[in-house]
Amino acid sequence: MNKELYDLVAWTVKTAKSAGAAECRAGVSSERFVNISYRDHKPENIKEATTKQLGLEVFVKSRYSIQTTSDLRKTALRDFISNAIATTKLLAEDPFRTLPDPKYYKGRAKVDLGVLDPAYRKFTPEDRHNLVKAIENAALAAGGEKVISVTAMEYDSYDELLLMSSNGFEGYQESTFYQAGAQMTVQDEGDRRPMGFDYAASVMNSAMPSPQEIGTSAAKRTLSLLGGKKLKTETMPVIIENRNVSRLLGGFLTAMYGSSIQQKRSFLADKKGKKIGSKHFTIIDDPFVKGGMGSRLFDMDGLALKKRVMVDAGVLKEFFVDWYYSRKLGWEPTTGGPANLVIPPGKRSLKEIMKDLGRGILITGFIGGNSNSTTGDASIGITGELFENGELVQAVAEMNIADNHLKFWNKLVEVANDPFLYSSWRMPSLVFTDVVVSGL
Amino acid sequence: MKKISRRSFIKTAASAAAVSIAAPVVLPRGWYALAGAEKPGYFEREFGISDSLCQKVLVKALSKGGDFADLYFEHTITNSLSLEDGKVNRAYSDVSLGVGIRTVKGDQVGYGFTQEMTEESMMNAASTAATIASGKAGKSASKFTWLKMKNYYPLKKLLTSVPLESKLPLVQNANDKCFALSPQVMKVNAGFYDQQKRILVVTSDGIKAEDLQPRNYLYASVTAEKDGRRERAGWNIGGRKDFSFYTQAVVDEISKMAVDRALVLFEAVQPPAGEMPVVLGPGVTAVLLHEAIGHGMEADFNRKNLSTYSTMIGRQVAEPFVTIIDDGTMPNYLGSINVDDEGTPGQRTVLVDKGILTSYMYDKISARHYKVKSSGNGRRQSYQHYVQPRMRNTIMLAGPATPKDVIQNVKKGIYVQDVSNGQVKIGEGDFAFYVSQGKMVEDGKLTAPIKDVNIMGNGPKMLKNITLLANDFEMNEGGSGACGKGGQAVPCGFGQPTCLVKSMTVGGVKR
Repeated sequence: MNKELYDLVAWTVKTAKSAGAAECRAGVSSERFVNISYRDHKPENIKEATTKQLGLEVFVKSRYSIQTTSDLRKTALRDFISNAIATTKLLAEDPFRTLPDPKYYKGRAKVDLGVLDPAYRKFTPEDRHNLVKAIENAALAAGGEKVISVTAMEYDSYDELLLMSSNGFEGYQESTFYQAGAQMTVQDEGDRRPMGFDYAASVMNSAMPSPQEIGTSAAKRTLSLLGGKKLKTETMPVIIENRNVSRLLGGFLTAMYGSSIQQKRSFLADKKGKKIGSKHFTIIDDPFVKGGMGSRLFDMDGLALKKRVMVDAGVLKEFFVDWYYSRKLGWEPTTGGPANLVIPPGKRSLKEIMKDLGRGILITGFIGGNSNSTTGDASIGITGELFENGELVQAVAEMNIADNHLKFWNKLVEVANDPFLYSSWRMPSLVFTDVVVSGL
Repeated sequence: MKKISRRSFIKTAASAAAVSIAAPVVLPRGWYALAGAEKPGYFEREFGISDSLCQKVLVKALSKGGDFADLYFEHTITNSLSLEDGKVNRAYSDVSLGVGIRTVKGDQVGYGFTQEMTEESMMNAASTAATIASGKAGKSASKFTWLKMKNYYPLKKLLTSVPLESKLPLVQNANDKCFALSPQVMKVNAGFYDQQKRILVVTSDGIKAEDLQPRNYLYASVTAEKDGRRERAGWNIGGRKDFSFYTQAVVDEISKMAVDRALVLFEAVQPPAGEMPVVLGPGVTAVLLHEAIGHGMEADFNRKNLSTYSTMIGRQVAEPFVTIIDDGTMPNYLGSINVDDEGTPGQRTVLVDKGILTSYMYDKISARHYKVKSSGNGRRQSYQHYVQPRMRNTIMLAGPATPKDVIQNVKKGIYVQDVSNGQVKIGEGDFAFYVSQGKMVEDGKLTAPIKDVNIMGNGPKMLKNITLLANDFEMNEGGSGACGKGGQAVPCGFGQPTCLVKSMTVGGVKR
């Protein structure tokens, strides 16, 4: 535990209480980061800094406000706290605004999340520059003559979070983060210059792929965009590539929040216990994945977390309900949002699945689009590759899929064995049939 | 065209803006420019930032060479009030304080920042920035001259000094008005947001510029129910406004727009999928102009040959009746800036002049690359961020046709009234947008309302495919919009008249 941060947060809680807050919760997040990018074999940007932000939630006679600041001078903080309390007193009463019942703080799991890399301190400026140079070189080598530009980058950080409430909650987490990637632009026919990228991210340096893999993959993904065409509108199978599943699933998830349900803008509000997808559709929120990028023991309410099956073989089991909306809804709280979201992987590889399907589109990117959490209607632009007889034959651009979530997840027929591990949403590729892909 | 006539409030405001494009800025009587009313030197008074300290830090930033360096001090106060379930029961405020230090060598940037306004912290951040260069130490000016600037967002009063008691009724009234407008309204979320950003830019070539950039808006969002179905829509109005802008008329306009837009969705259908003509309504649909066309004209993408417009300066990119301007000088609009974030005064830049691409939008680095002057488009989200060329208020000027002419030209297509969630691929020029409000066009007439559909196209192709422009220019009056690029959000404005694009992909349903 960082004593300086602890003293700051404890002082804030004490000062807010003595200035008139009935209850309060304070937290500080701190990050030390380095970010380096290269272009044309020289550094394009070098950036390094430490940031600290203090947050304070104030409860005065069922009235509530939240404030954040980066001005941590004690004199400024005293004014900040007294202003916060004065503001809060002017608001309307909201009887649902309280700190959580401390019983929900209890039972915090005793597991090692494995989110702090002991090797982080040994990661030198030279290591960083060598990493980025190697990614750039690999991307340029694999990109060949079509390359117009490559930018390679890395970002790494050491993060701390400390949260404390006036009714007894204390939580602290320290973690590390590494990200590395490359973005490439290539010359296509005419004025078209497709841009593609690849990246990897992890809390452990040892879990990162080699710079050669990252650079080569960025080049391969970019070259696959060459000659992208709009095809005729057709109903066919589509595979959503692992790393892109979160974009579509995000629209579904919005309807699972307590706020959406209580505010009457969730198409899932009355679907608990009901079938909303095919038997292949299972979603687990697992806060305890070792080395998971979303792993944690408590949420921002201080609630002790549990592993939860949110959707089980197509049946909706749980919602994401934080403390406030649990009181408004009269339900038990779960947690305000997912930690690590997992769709359990299937047995077969993407290649085997494509061979079986014969003809369809592998979606490798989304563009624009939206999802309406009230109705479940969604429409989103896609890019990807058409496959025939299991082989990728044509890059696809400027096409679109539109459906309703309550229908769409019933079209899920298979889950591949390739979960994307460089995100807190650990999604495998998903296979859907009878999807209208609109184009010409 | 019932929809357009309903926007009388907005039209009035937009025509005022249209005048301002050509006319110099004249402050209304009784108003004053805060920059003039307050003595310059806010950061020196509050935080002890003296010229000699700035020079010391700039010398450190150039200690290993580099072409120039700059300091960007920021003190931003943000407040918001929100209403849920009938009561204004949540307030949020944020204080953001820090300084960003940048060293530039060619197109390379070293950057450090600190939240502590102490000499020691600034010198450390300057050392970080200096690492981008490796050579003989560069020089910094020792005296700094205040930049001469106009004020495009004069205020009677700082919003931070407007008491909460004055802001609360706006939000409560918006709620009450929405419920009063229709028994089908079930839930209302409303709120008032205001931000006061103070900046000081100090450059190694001896310029200093201080600005106070207000930003504020009032919003309402409505969920309505009819026959067991629910729909949701919202509206907001704002910009860089004085608090006196927020009258009951504004509250009424926001509430009516939010409720009408939710109710019309009960009648809305998804249009058929395929290629078809698309009419873009005036005002808010100009977000397409911003995304699909504007971004490709930002100079960094062109300097690196990433944009599809990289080789198009001087070329015909649109019909001769199309003129596109990026204007930082429109009074009180969201994208207006008195000075950009690297010390260049706010200005107006013609991008496409009667169909010919005439200029990109430049920050200092790209201006040096192209050997031109910066167009004042160097912007950043905060002291934690690099400068990038960014848009201000991007507008397409009115054409000769009437809105009716434009619609009558379409046998079968869609009319787009509002879009959201736009995204563009700079290199290909491909874009996609979500149509949240619109209508079918059948045999030259507006028919059934449509919703929840994506439209896709290609920016340069769309620009060439603009075949008609109407005479009904409108600015988007929203105050909440922010544009994202490279992980940074900055407020931008946009506007255009009714416009016919002869073909776009509509991602509707198969018929």
